[in-house]
Parts: sequence; C-alpha cells; structure tokens
Amino acid sequence: MPALQCEHLSKVYRGGFRKKGEVQALQDLSLAVETGQIFSLLGPNGAGKTTFVKILLSITHPTSGRAFVLDRPITEPRVRRKVGYLPENHRFPGYLTGQQVLTSFGSLSGVRGPALRSHIDSLLTLVGMQEWRDVKVRKYSKGMMQRLGLAQALVNDPAIVFLDEPTDGVDPVGRKEIRDVLRNLRNEGKTIFLNSHLLSEVELVSDRVAILDKGKLLKVGTVQELTTTEESYHIGYEGSIPEALRTEAAARVLDIVISSEGIVARVSDAASLNALIDLLRKHKVLITSVGQQRNTLEESFISLIKREIPE
Amino acid sequence: MNILVLIRLTLRELSSKATMYILAGISTVVLLGVALAVSVTSSADGETLMLFGQQVSPPVPAADLARVVQQMQAGLAGGLFTGIILFGVFATAGVIPDMLERGTVDLYLSKPISRWQLLLGKYTGAVTAIAINILYFLAGAWLVFGLKCGVWEPTLLTSSLTMIFMFAALYALVVFFATWTRSTAATIILTYLYLFILGGILQNREFSLYLISENTIYRTIVDGFYYLFPQISAMQENAAKQIMGLEMDWKPFLQSFLSGSVFLLAAAVILKRRDF
Ligand SMILES: Nc1ncnc2c1ncn2[C@@H]1O[C@H](COP(=O)(O)OP(=O)(O)O)[C@@H](O)[C@H]1O
Ligand SMILES: [Mg+2]
Repeated sequence: MPALQCEHLSKVYRGGFRKKGEVQALQDLSLAVETGQIFSLLGPNGAGKTTFVKILLSITHPTSGRAFVLDRPITEPRVRRKVGYLPENHRFPGYLTGQQVLTSFGSLSGVRGPALRSHIDSLLTLVGMQEWRDVKVRKYSKGMMQRLGLAQALVNDPAIVFLDEPTDGVDPVGRKEIRDVLRNLRNEGKTIFLNSHLLSEVELVSDRVAILDKGKLLKVGTVQELTTTEESYHIGYEGSIPEALRTEAAARVLDIVISSEGIVARVSDAASLNALIDLLRKHKVLITSVGQQRNTLEESFISLIKREIPE
Repeated sequence: MNILVLIRLTLRELSSKATMYILAGISTVVLLGVALAVSVTSSADGETLMLFGQQVSPPVPAADLARVVQQMQAGLAGGLFTGIILFGVFATAGVIPDMLERGTVDLYLSKPISRWQLLLGKYTGAVTAIAINILYFLAGAWLVFGLKCGVWEPTLLTSSLTMIFMFAALYALVVFFATWTRSTAATIILTYLYLFILGGILQNREFSLYLISENTIYRTIVDGFYYLFPQISAMQENAAKQIMGLEMDWKPFLQSFLSGSVFLLAAAVILKRRDF
C-alpha cells in the first residue's frame, strides 16, 4: 500500500485582483510513495514543492486531480491525525514556550493527557531542546525553531511526516543530527517526505528522489539512478544503416535513435561511444562528425542542483 | 473536543496580551469608584440614593428604592458595555488574523480539524474571554449595589447573558471582517466604521438613506442591509429595560442571531475556499 498517492494533480494560482499573473505551480503530477521510505522531492526554488505538500495537507486546494494519503482522500480532516508536518518558514505563537507549543499543537492533533506529556519529554530530548523547553519561542534562533518544528511534526506519532526544507537555517552538526533522526524514524516504519532544493541534503538519506521543475515531475528514482551521468552524442554519417546493424548498435549503448539526420546515442562512458563508432566503421559507415549532444532537460537540471552543493 | 482545545489556546493567547488586563483593570477601577461614590441615606421622607454625596433623585419609599437603583445600574451597564465593546473588539480583533498569518496557518490547517471548527473554536474562545470580563464587571457591580444600597435585584446579573449575546453577535461580524481581510488593523477599522457610522445611518435610515430615493426596491435593499448587521443599539436599549425590570423586545435579538449566523457562515465559506 502506498503511503501517498496522487493522480494528475495540477495547481494554478490565480493572480490577485488583476486576473493576470496566473502561476501554474503544478502540472499533471502523478506520484506514489511507498510506506517506510524516505522520499525526497528535489527542485529549485519556485518548482512547486511547497505547493505539492500543501495540497496533500489540504492547506491549498488542487485545481484538478486527486490525492490519497494513508489510503484516504486528502479532503478528509481525519487523515491528518496520522500525519506530521514541518512547514517551510513556520511560525509558532511567540507567547508560548517550547513545551507549550508541543502541548497545544499536540492536543490539536488529538493526543492528550499523560501520554502526550511523556511523549513530549522524549521528543524534546530527541531534537536536543530539553534545556529550552520553558523558554518562550520568540527567543529561539532559526535553528532552534527548526528543531522544535521537527518535534512538533512528530508530536502525534504520525505514520507519515512531511518536512519542507527541514535543515533550513540549521548548522552542519544540526543537519547531521536531523538526518539521524530521519533514519531512525524510517527504521520505525514511518514514511518521510522531504522537500529540498539541495541535492546534498537529500542524497545521504533518501531511498527515492523525485525531481520537480517548474511544476513538472521530471524524474523519479534512487539517488544513484538520478545522479549517474550519462552523455549523449550526435554522430553524423553518410550512406545507409541496415536493420541488422541498428539492432547490434542498440545493444552497445543505453539508447539510440537513428534517422537520416544522424545518430543520437546515449552512452554511460567514452568507451561505449568508441565501441559504437568501431562497430559503424566495421560496417563501412562513413562518419562525418561526432559531437556531444546538448544535455537533456533532466540532465541539465541535475547539474544545476549539483552546482548548489555548498562546500 | 477540538473546539475546547481551541478555546483554551485562544484564552491563553489573549491572556498573554496586556489588553485583556487593561480591560479588567478599567472594570476594577470603575467598580471601586462606584463603591466609593454610591450610598443610600435614610430620612423621614424615605430612602435617597446618593452619588458623590449628591442626591440622585428625591427621597422615595423604601419599596421603590430598587427601581431607582436599577435605573442607575442600567445607565452604568450601558456605559460600560459601550466601553467593553469598543475595547473588546480592539483586544480580540487579532485572534483570527494571527491564526491566518503565514507560517502559523499551515500549522493549524495541518491538524485533523476542519476549517469551520478552527473558526468556531477561535470565535468561541474570544467571546469567552470577553464574557469573563462582562461577568466580572456585572457581578462586581451587582455586589457593590447590594452591599452599599441593600438592593439585590437579580436583573443586573441576568443582563450579563444579554450583554454576552450582544458581543457574540457583534464578534461574528468581526470574524467575518478578519477572515476576509486577514488584517487586525483592517478588522478594527471596519468594525468601528460599522459601529460609529454605518450602524447609525442604517438605524436612522428614515432620515438618511431613505431620503435618497423613494424607490421601493432601493428602500428594501437598505432595509435588508439594516437587518443583515447585528442590531447593537436596539439590543442595548433592551438590555437597559431588562436591568430596570421592564418588558423586553426580543426581535432585535432574533435578528442579530440570524445576522451572526450569516456572518459566521460567510467567514467559514471564505476560509474553506481559500488557498494558503
Ligand atoms: N499563494 C500563492 N499565490 C500565488 N502564487 C504562489 C503562491 N504560492 C506559491 N506560488 C507560486 O507557485 C510557484 C511554486 O511555489 P512553491 O510551491 O513555493 O515552490 P518551492 O517550494 O518549490 O520553492 C512559485 O512560482 C510561486 O511564486
Ligand atoms: Mg518551498
């Protein structure tokens, strides 16, 4: 059973008073996330990651499409009893202490009484905020707010947790601690949905990653699959290529398209490119040019994310 | 259950702000003032209600003292209610906009609570906070008059329910403005505009809006607007009657109940449809 499933989700934000300025934040997005995984949605700022999570939590309404969380339609409020959420740039009421935040929002999630109190103790320890429990949150730093936000997201012992840029404003040590917390949660069988614009933040923990850009889902796979660099080459030729040779050529590369305009081959490394050229030469195909093909959208996007890795 | 949690949260939110204490403080000062100022002197002519040592009315037979005291109570309650309304709106107008603020609204909406419950919980919480103030003041005033004048007529006490209802009807309008504008300042301004200007114009429409045209449709629309809003001043007149033990007209209360329901419903619809 997938913990999360959506079909053809689209979202158009209408521009304020003047009807212009419509934003297509999501386009026909279909996705399923299996239970017990750490799943990351990766994409540059403005890609639609936050919009996607907000739709799943019914904070924003989809323009079309439907979605299920824990096998229930997202429109039912009681789905959220077993859902945790750390919003991006969240703000807790400043007059509450850290502990009061957890009690208040915990009881809104339907957890009450002594069970809630002992759970709060362990959560504060988990995120390293025990010493700050009685301090008003208006005195917290950004990193502390994130830690408290993470505890808040876990206060109802959720089956699925949505974390929107959870390491924003957190120092490197804190980031490592958060990653450890996420791994432990996964080991407890919880599903974790992570939004991030930094590949470095997700590659260490994610079981699967989806790449979103301009509201479109470009690719879903393991980190390994998404980051292996494959290159495409364009090979110009003269003459004709018989069917048998086409089949043989296809076997040597990841992907090949042969037309009268030329050959476009996707290869994993230079060796297989050379192997392809050798094969063509052996069959007396006259090669007129070999050039690197421009990256596909996905590949350029991956390199875009890679460049953002902070050192 | 969710509603109870929301009420508690709202009360905590309001009690973290100075405004609620200022309101209670003003009530206390007024009560102490009344306690010092009011007295009853007995003479051969009868009982005389005194304010700051001055006769309020000529001496009356002991049996009629209650009526005189009730008149004074009605005046005091009327004045204080106006104060509580103005200050109470000011103190509680932020409850909904604060909940709907960026970064906070996401936390509320991600809970297993429907949006109308959030609204109703916050509404009830704010009304409860003001109800506590109204009860504090009216129970205090009842005690002061009882101790100082020996008049223990319960009408002042029972009028607290009427006053709470009046605030509740008005607060539905506040919630509507707040949900619509999401701004505390705009909510206060719009509510005051209604209380100070629009409410009066609609109440006295025979002498204002009616003069613009004799068209029946136009006048029906004007009437419709009058009945759409809570009828604060009509209810206030009736609350005074209640304190004085006179018969009340329940129509404005029924109309205000409907008005409040409409505004709460409208706020719930706006909230339900909105993207955050
Ligand atoms: N409430 C809103 N009204 C209008 N446009 C919005 C709103 N929220 C987000 N957008 C737009 O939708 C797009 C996606 O935004 P968002 O989901 O926040 O992306 P991300 O989280 O990936 O940075 C952006 O172009 C953003 O400007
Ligand atoms: Mg975002």
